[in-house]
Amino acid sequence: MGAYLVKRLAASVVTAILSSMAVFLLVRAVPGDVVAQMLGQSGARGSAAEESLRRFFGLDQPLWQQYLSWLWGVLQGDLGESWVRGRPVAQMVVNAFMVTLQLGLMTLVFATVIGVPLGLVAGLYEGRRIDSLIQGFNILGLSAPVFWLGLMLLVVVSQTFAWSPPLIYRTPGRDLGQNLEIMLLPLLSLGVLQAAAYSQFTRQCVVSAFSQDYVRTAVAKGLPMRVVFFKHILRNIMIPLVTFMGLILIQILGGTVVIETLFALPGLGRLLISAIETRDYPVVQGALLLVVFTALLVNLLVDMLYHVIDPRVRVGG
Amino acid sequence: MNGLSGISTLRRLWLGAALAGSATALAGAATADISPLLYGPEPDAVRSGGSLTYGSLVEPPALDPFHQGADARIRVTTLIYQGLFYEGEDGPIPLLARDFEVSDDGLVYTFHLRDGVRFHTGGEMTAADVKYSYDYIRDPDNGSPGAGDFNMIDEIRVIDDLTVEFVLTSPNASLPMALGNKYGAVVPAGTFDADGSRAAMNDRSVGTGPFMIREYQPNSFLELERFADYWQPGLPYLDEITYLYLPNNAALLVALQNNRVDVARLGRPQDAEQIEGMPNITVQRWPALEQKALDLDSNYGALSDERVRQAISLAVDKEEILQAAIGGYGTVIHTIVAGMQESWGVPRDELDFQGPDRERARALLEEAGHGSGVDLTLTTIIGYDWMDPAAVTLREQLAEIGVNLEIRRVDLGVWIDNFRSRNMGFTFNDWATQPDPNLLFFRHFHQQPQGADFRNWNNDVASELLRQGQQESDPEARRAIYRDFQKELARSVPTIMLFSADHVTVTSNRVHNFWQHPTGWHFGLVKTQVE
Repeated sequence: MGAYLVKRLAASVVTAILSSMAVFLLVRAVPGDVVAQMLGQSGARGSAAEESLRRFFGLDQPLWQQYLSWLWGVLQGDLGESWVRGRPVAQMVVNAFMVTLQLGLMTLVFATVIGVPLGLVAGLYEGRRIDSLIQGFNILGLSAPVFWLGLMLLVVVSQTFAWSPPLIYRTPGRDLGQNLEIMLLPLLSLGVLQAAAYSQFTRQCVVSAFSQDYVRTAVAKGLPMRVVFFKHILRNIMIPLVTFMGLILIQILGGTVVIETLFALPGLGRLLISAIETRDYPVVQGALLLVVFTALLVNLLVDMLYHVIDPRVRVGG
Repeated sequence: MNGLSGISTLRRLWLGAALAGSATALAGAATADISPLLYGPEPDAVRSGGSLTYGSLVEPPALDPFHQGADARIRVTTLIYQGLFYEGEDGPIPLLARDFEVSDDGLVYTFHLRDGVRFHTGGEMTAADVKYSYDYIRDPDNGSPGAGDFNMIDEIRVIDDLTVEFVLTSPNASLPMALGNKYGAVVPAGTFDADGSRAAMNDRSVGTGPFMIREYQPNSFLELERFADYWQPGLPYLDEITYLYLPNNAALLVALQNNRVDVARLGRPQDAEQIEGMPNITVQRWPALEQKALDLDSNYGALSDERVRQAISLAVDKEEILQAAIGGYGTVIHTIVAGMQESWGVPRDELDFQGPDRERARALLEEAGHGSGVDLTLTTIIGYDWMDPAAVTLREQLAEIGVNLEIRRVDLGVWIDNFRSRNMGFTFNDWATQPDPNLLFFRHFHQQPQGADFRNWNNDVASELLRQGQQESDPEARRAIYRDFQKELARSVPTIMLFSADHVTVTSNRVHNFWQHPTGWHFGLVKTQVE
């Protein structure tokens, strides 16, 4: 286990460095930099102001030198400062990430609490009326685009209750009530989709488990359904279910851009978009680095969880 | 003191001085040397206190008036920072300057500063702060996008605590307007000495304006609070202003409906149709100093032939494009923005090559050897909603004279890059100005190196007129020069000005005395009141 962990971590570090290089180059491949944006239509290329700003941001250095000095900073835990906002990137990225993480975790809980039981029931009663009902929900939830659902929720709720979410974001620590008010509609918009996906997946797992030999054997030898279900089926489909949880979390963390944009949440997606628009390289790099690290971390945790859930998964051998 | 010896004219610029008598009674807001025209009309009753919420789709990238040129920044920082003058609709009005004198040769401006103006940081403003602030912004090494607006200044001298002299390299009638509120401001001397001082401006304001920053959370909100030691007695009326940065129109409209937002300016004027008639809100249209234009780069393919440019100008039906682009919430223009047409413009019938006259356009193309048609690519900017319908309409209009248009949509960053490298091709443009013809035209249309000549026009006649206009301080002579310039602009077609979109604002009924300045900046909030 220890050796495996070291190997996994080493691989993660290599992945992180390679991704950071890719990010570094990609963001610079987009034409127009922060200096051009700051100067706008105020002057032609090659002016003294442009040269001075370029020096100020270190854009006059060769690319490899810019990368190395950035990497050196990162290794020392310094992500630099935003070129546009002037604030420490680490602070901006972490603040934004907390918003996204909160939404992600709440969505995960929502999807699990709603989706898994629905999927289990549908799988158990395969082909019955209740199964059709649940499958109907799944199909609707999966096919409604998040943006559309969010917009409909916003408009319908606003028209029906003459209420719309507050627009000043507050952290849960500062004002829990207002924070939850803001999170409600985004949670529902994302939650329905993820619950439907989770429910569909769970149903699939249960249905296919029923055709497995060990379940047939258990049923054939006359074990009560309750025992078959909890002791055999549930135990065995746990691994794919946990994996799916990890997938959902990664998907939410990387995919809340649309919902953050719709509901004015100052999360990581919105930060990334605005940083890309203003060519704020340090922020784009810092934010993407965090996304990559989170994905690596979640994957690692899921792998570790397998081991805990099912000792048959041998690692490192 | 030689600068003072030649002074013969003492000018008090605000035309509204006569109005002052009627307004002084109100709130003591107007005293003898403060123009009542500053920050919009006086309210009919005094109503102080309260907070106002402003919903905005665009967010300033940063709040530093020295290094950030974005219009979204200027809109807001005009409430926080002040220059020596205010952008009056008919010319500059003294703001932090009390009045000024110009030497006979037009080279020395002596400004008398207001007494008792305080900074948000506590100190009192003196001539040394004025010298520091304008010396800082005009030094190209400090990287301000506005540096070019001040390149006529040779030297700034402190005469005494409340008197400062600006010595120019050549006469320039735009100096007072340049000392307005677009770029830079008067800040305490030494503001930029400390490391990280640019960044600090996002959290702490150091200006003299009526409002100061309380809290700024990017991608979410900006809270401003009333500056208690502000120099205009009784102002501002509001205790606080909260800007909410909303990512899309739907969120803004819903917020307006549910009273989460008191004031908003619609990004797309035509959205007014969706909310007009809603209870408890007022929709208003205001003339603007902005223009939507079609730019023609003289280095781009067939456009190097003046006749082709003239033919395109003749083929364009601006009214139809205005309707398609913003549903008629604007004014068709010719050679100057709508807000300046009355004081500086030329009547349409005195301009040549105004369309639509497709027969004459086809004849010109034929003459230029393009009788069989021309292929052009039109560039539009992603995210500028008006450009897409306008582009399609333009394609149909140009097809009628045999110009085949391919439409290419590019990211704003890409577009700015092309523009600044004077490689703009054939493109839509969207820009705004201060109410001064020199500031509007010179940089865009004067030959290099004095101007930027983004469109590679390289026109001797126009450049000479722009030089004369810049140096002439007599208003009538100035007007005549700029009228000649506009005729040349219409004749040679480096740009086709299409229309000015109105500023369309929405206010809830608890808001009183709201006023929108033609620049689109938020000056009017200083005298806005809430119930």
